[in-house]
Amino acid sequence: MAAQETGLDAEFRQRVVVVMTTVLARLLDREEPVTEDMRLMEELGLSSTFGLELLLELEDQLLILIDVELMDADQMTTVGALATFVASNSRPA
Amino acid sequence: MTALEAVSVYLPPVRIPIESLAGPLGLTAMQVKLFRRFHGLREVSRDPDVSLYGLLMKAAAGLAALRGQEHRVRYVLYARTMPVVAPYPVNPLHEVCGALGLDHALAFTLTHQSCASGLLAIDVAGRLLAADAADEPNGPNDHAGPLALILSGEKAFTRDAQVFADTTVFGEGASACLVSASGARDRLLAYACNVRGEFDSATGENDARLQREYRPSLAEVIRRALDEAGLTLDDIRVVLPHNVNVVTWQRMCLLLKFPLDRVLLDNIPASGHVFCADMFVNYQTACERGLLRPGDRYLAAAVGAGGGATFAAMVFEH
Repeated sequence: MAAQETGLDAEFRQRVVVVMTTVLARLLDREEPVTEDMRLMEELGLSSTFGLELLLELEDQLLILIDVELMDADQMTTVGALATFVASNSRPA
Repeated sequence: MTALEAVSVYLPPVRIPIESLAGPLGLTAMQVKLFRRFHGLREVSRDPDVSLYGLLMKAAAGLAALRGQEHRVRYVLYARTMPVVAPYPVNPLHEVCGALGLDHALAFTLTHQSCASGLLAIDVAGRLLAADAADEPNGPNDHAGPLALILSGEKAFTRDAQVFADTTVFGEGASACLVSASGARDRLLAYACNVRGEFDSATGENDARLQREYRPSLAEVIRRALDEAGLTLDDIRVVLPHNVNVVTWQRMCLLLKFPLDRVLLDNIPASGHVFCADMFVNYQTACERGLLRPGDRYLAAAVGAGGGATFAAMVFEH
């Protein structure tokens, strides 16, 4: 779904993507770039523990609180899908 | 019908912030932060000066209903998460039985369902007493009939007994509960349980699947217990959860479409996961706060993970 249709702040979502791809590369010790279309578990091998760590880093770096309890497996498919979830389900810390 | 006659709980007054466990347990700053931010864990009870025997005795000491009724206690069940808690030949359960004047009772331990063994113990105690009561001269409704005592609670004495990776932090405490085959209060209406041997943490090969199926599996036994009781979630006044962490229950509520404020989560940040005693700890809190009125139905739920996983739910009427 396009950002405009959901009322999503596209600029904020882009900031989420930038931080997320940087943190993921570090967490997963990956030299190749991480891109939005990559599948978090199958392709990047992200565990649920690293997933929570990723969210914590996003909260710290973007100064937000993420509604983690609302998240389910559907939102954890790709880097881009998770960025959309975070941008739509977070508030300033 | 199985009934909880009386419950007593002991939580050591010494509270340890989880930050101070980081060093001894080798937790990273990030892991501690995760526990605090997402799992809602802040402190756990610990008392290095009280032995396991001491913990259990303190819980039993608060069980006023036991005094003078020792001769009626036929079974003592110790519900435990950890298979081994004392070096041979030390046996805290038998020591407690001796000190309480319960040497005549058949005493045994249940550990097979890890943290869900507390609910299993209620079921087993009820079935043993019901079988005995059928042979009693006054039948199963004899109010001076046989009783069972269920003890639970453990020392956080090894690393495995202190922390479950990225999931929970265990706190020390103990409970004692008197069970009868029939009684007016806190009648057990239904019990549902699902043992999943394939989720064995020793191999870890199904850990990802366990994480995916954890909440749906718990929801399934909750619905099954409610069906058996002829009730729906709307009939449930309060849920007494296992105190694994807060986010698990936030997500469970979304899945069940059940209001989060009717799940008693307040003991999680204050006491952590008190092994099999969670249900009894939360029951006592619910009673102290007047959350349960006569006739209210409530639900207790637990998951035991370790050598396989067990999902369990019980419905009671207060």
